[in-house]
Amino acid sequence: MAYLIPVFIYSFGGVAVSRTIIHCDADCFFAAIEMRDNPQLHGRPIAVGGRPDRRGVISTCNYPARQFGVRSAMASAYALRLCPGLIILPHRMTHYRDASQKIMAIFHQFTDLVEPLSLDEAFLDVTDAVNDSNSARAIAEQIREQVVAQLGITVSAGIAPNKFLAKVASDWRKPDGLFEIKPEQVAEFVARLPVSCIPGVGKVTGERLAQLQVKNCGDLLRFDERELCERFGQFGSRLYHCSRGIDSRLVRVERQRKSVSVEQTFAQDMTVDEACETYLTELIARLQVRIDKLTDQYGVGKAFVKVKFADFSSTTLERANDEFSYCNFAELIREAASRHDSRVRLLGVGVRLTEQAAAPVAEVEQLGLFGG
Amino acid sequence: MKLVVSREALLKPLQLVSGVVERRQTLPVLSNVLLVLEGSRLSLTGTDLEVEIVGRVELESPGVDGEITVPARKFVDIVRSLPDDADIELVEEEGRVLLKSGRSRFTLSTLPATDFPNVEDGPSDLQFSCQQREVKRLIERTAFAMAQQDVRYYLNGMLWEVKQDQLRVVATDGHRMAMCTRAVGVNTADTIQAILPRKGVLELSRLMGDVEDLVDITLSANHVRVTSEDYTFTSKLVDGKFPDYERVLPRGGDKIVFGSRTELKQAFSRTAILSNEKYRGVRLLLEDGQLTIVANNPEQEEAEEQLTVDYSGNSLEVGFNVSYLTDVANVIDSDTIKITLSDANSSALLEEPVDDGDSLYVVMPMRL
Repeated sequence: MAYLIPVFIYSFGGVAVSRTIIHCDADCFFAAIEMRDNPQLHGRPIAVGGRPDRRGVISTCNYPARQFGVRSAMASAYALRLCPGLIILPHRMTHYRDASQKIMAIFHQFTDLVEPLSLDEAFLDVTDAVNDSNSARAIAEQIREQVVAQLGITVSAGIAPNKFLAKVASDWRKPDGLFEIKPEQVAEFVARLPVSCIPGVGKVTGERLAQLQVKNCGDLLRFDERELCERFGQFGSRLYHCSRGIDSRLVRVERQRKSVSVEQTFAQDMTVDEACETYLTELIARLQVRIDKLTDQYGVGKAFVKVKFADFSSTTLERANDEFSYCNFAELIREAASRHDSRVRLLGVGVRLTEQAAAPVAEVEQLGLFGG
Repeated sequence: MKLVVSREALLKPLQLVSGVVERRQTLPVLSNVLLVLEGSRLSLTGTDLEVEIVGRVELESPGVDGEITVPARKFVDIVRSLPDDADIELVEEEGRVLLKSGRSRFTLSTLPATDFPNVEDGPSDLQFSCQQREVKRLIERTAFAMAQQDVRYYLNGMLWEVKQDQLRVVATDGHRMAMCTRAVGVNTADTIQAILPRKGVLELSRLMGDVEDLVDITLSANHVRVTSEDYTFTSKLVDGKFPDYERVLPRGGDKIVFGSRTELKQAFSRTAILSNEKYRGVRLLLEDGQLTIVANNPEQEEAEEQLTVDYSGNSLEVGFNVSYLTDVANVIDSDTIKITLSDANSSALLEEPVDDGDSLYVVMPMRL
């Protein structure tokens, strides 16, 4: 009940208000928990992920494994080829969740404005917690010390005037690092920042920027917002602002989800009919469980499906539906699968979420016993 | 191991013990129950590494001693589905357990008893005895207010506070709080606090009967153990600091209302139907001799209930989550509820109107 109401932390009428944001991110979280619980793993390349013989994927790996080129989201079988001695451990989600709760509790000691991004990662808006005797750097240090003391794993932290730079900063001295970008250092820091640090700039956009002789954010300063929007659409505006160190996104106590979905990769490729017969009932049941866990602020919108083919190409299809029945999903899947004459390796089902029209936030507020 | 036990004697302890066994386990042996036979005493143990329950059954005749683990869920399902008056024979042979009853035979897989973990508790800090029904009452009166999956993990449990001759329990989810205090014979110079995890509290309450039989309670730095004739319950404690509950007990509320518990409960549950499904807010309008409860929802529907109450003083309008009020009206067992209010931003105190009431409930209002 405590977190039903999405709280907008501050609003501004076109004027950017300077905030102090800390981004905290545990270092190779799942792997760190495994190494903590089994010290014999220290110094050896390990990863947490699915089994290579079942088409598993690496979730996290430690730094010795990264030296071999192992990365998260890589197929476990491929990771083993890069690093034949790699120890791949199965997920122990209950342990990770338990650790996550403790980490989040530590964050909450310093501010209520915590926006979790994943189990081990969050933005903290500490603007109101900072004063003459307690700097943002001191808060970040205390968080890092407490996590080491209570959990035996390390956290990297970045401090900056906005979310974009705080996230870049936490990565700057990883692992077990702390890096601060003060407001007066922003311009100089951003100018030298590679554009690939801007979220959304991947291989394709990176190449298009390179054609424009843009390598660092500083190279983007000669473009105005209109020019960038003409070339990159909506994303141009984001490029324009990020390259100037501007990011007006707020720390939101609750993240707004846009969709919820579940998917299953099969042990062997199969025809779409076989796949529906074998997996669809279970997938819909799993999806239902996920939907049931959502708070009432979400309404359910369109249904969508994802089909991945034997050649790893994938397609999605969505449609407004009155009910989310087996037949409706199966029909969508068959239609999506008909786009490609190939066997299927993965099915996913999901629903888009809509924000439920509820009473405006300010109108209803449950008061807390402990000033929360 | 070899033994004969009646279904009637086995089923209840087996169900209670296997209640702690989680369906999805990381360690295979944790989905099993441990069976240990010593003479004519059979003990059954289930654990999830946080909570452990041992149940004891006295057999009519001694069997062949031994210890082994079998899959909990399947064992319970088999025993439950046998006829009421069945006798059950268990024989361990070649890494299997053979279960025979009448003309039914089952062969269950096993894992060695030596693989079965036990919850280690440390040296005891405090030990005392009290009647089972006291423990049961303390939990039943307050458990509903525990948080579920709150990031403030210390709220996902129940505070036990032991003082000289007194056991007090407190549960809160940060919006409302329940507290119950009972006199028990305990000798301690200090005040000792322990937070029991939510799951442990709920399991313990199932083990306790409404009887005068004594249980021994042991508190150590990290564990609590409650031992009755038939069961031993051990749970890890939650490592954390419980909020200072005394600080939030309302003082100085000047508006004291007495109302019929049944009438209030019914009025709350009827108005709840048309409250906002998300916030569950209802408005209470208090005037001389009368309480009006109003609920609205986003569809512009409205519910209104008027009750006669014993009150005289200034009028007040205050909003609450109706579920919190209903929860309290459900556990209080007096005919009348005493509600103490002060203003629209301060908490309400709900209690039984008698001098020797043992429970207090605090509910924070909603701004509607």
